[in-house]
Amino acid sequence: MKTATKTCLIVDDSKMIRRVATRILRELKFEPSEAGNGREALDICKASMPDAILLDWNMPVMDGLSFLKTLRNSSGGSKPVVVFCTAERDIIKIAEALDAGADEYIMKPFDSDILGSKFTEVGLLGQDRYAQSTL
Amino acid sequence: MSGTLSLKPSYYEALKRLTIELVGVKIGAEHEFLVETRLLALARKEGFESLNQMIDELFSRGQTRLAIHVVTALLERATSFFEGRNGFETIGDVLLPNLHKLYRGGTVRILSYGCSSGQEIYSAAILVDKIAEILPNMKIELIGVDYPSQALERAKKGRFTHFEVQRGLPIRHLIKYFTQDGEDWVVKDSLRNKISFIDHNLLSDISDLGTYQIVMFRGHLNQITKPAKKRILRSLSRLVCAHGYLMLGCNESLDTANFWFDPVPIAAGCFKKRGKMAENPFLSPVPNPADEETSQQLPIATQFQGNGAL
Repeated sequence: MKTATKTCLIVDDSKMIRRVATRILRELKFEPSEAGNGREALDICKASMPDAILLDWNMPVMDGLSFLKTLRNSSGGSKPVVVFCTAERDIIKIAEALDAGADEYIMKPFDSDILGSKFTEVGLLGQDRYAQSTL
Repeated sequence: MSGTLSLKPSYYEALKRLTIELVGVKIGAEHEFLVETRLLALARKEGFESLNQMIDELFSRGQTRLAIHVVTALLERATSFFEGRNGFETIGDVLLPNLHKLYRGGTVRILSYGCSSGQEIYSAAILVDKIAEILPNMKIELIGVDYPSQALERAKKGRFTHFEVQRGLPIRHLIKYFTQDGEDWVVKDSLRNKISFIDHNLLSDISDLGTYQIVMFRGHLNQITKPAKKRILRSLSRLVCAHGYLMLGCNESLDTANFWFDPVPIAAGCFKKRGKMAENPFLSPVPNPADEETSQQLPIATQFQGNGAL
């Protein structure tokens, strides 16, 4: 039986980051979509709630933390798995994101291994998709 | 060999033989780039003008110290936290509760054999810390063993890069068990002090290492030669005490011999040691004919004086 492709909304004001994340997510068999800030992302979620959201912190118009708090308080907003993906590395900031309802947290810079590992962690990908490294 | 690599094909072949003979590990054709990258870094560190100059020095003078550095640089494994997650679930959900029942608490020793930079044993330490409440009166000792190497030195320090801590480690564990130090993350002393690390040649005599209730040797078997595999599995059988467990990778097996283990049906790659110690041939010093396969003269390895140091 064919399983439905999971959707992932990438919310980041950097076009370059969105492009890189889109490529990685396609490789991981996700159907990606994009938003440039939290406000745009809320509009997209209102129209159709994605399975996952890859969320930047510092963005114009509405930042990632405000978006997440609004999302989690809205109808159906508890459904998406939210993975922060940000340059913020301070432990206090990380704890703040988790308190606001983030499921996982990626510190930039990241690569496809990290994204795959974090998505596996939150159950978006099957376990042990990475083979044991050799040599 | 690819034309883009600088290492002479004859040197590559000699390095392949060297790692087989010294440590029983096979370097495949697909590892050319990895070999070049790692040894180039070592050549720079050792002050050689080129990689070929270092390898030339290695084989012409048979320097033991350089051979050790070359082989350990080649053997360094890129590992991640909670790699082979099912194995950790088996330890937490099945093995430790079983051992707790068996020993009514007591002391349980867990060994990561070939621990590299330590992610596996640190993951085990986190697991143990998380489930400590359900294992009252049980003391758990955690030990990591590997060839002396830079990776093992990093493991002892518990220092990991920004990239390493993001592979397999849930963010909640990161903020609970690590502190940030510049660009790196360092394991907190409260966790690090629960683990001992030992420098040890995985193919040499294991009698000093003692015995363990759980031995993890995951993701190594497919890389090593058949004689080395047999020798290591025999050593592992000695390391695991009666009723203890051997954890291999979920796709790895003991092959034809059972080494006094029975597979644990619910967990792929997990084997339980049979109970009657007196009947266990691997606990007695009876010579095994299979030893002859590995005790033959080693034409390249013996060029290096005192290779027992490896």
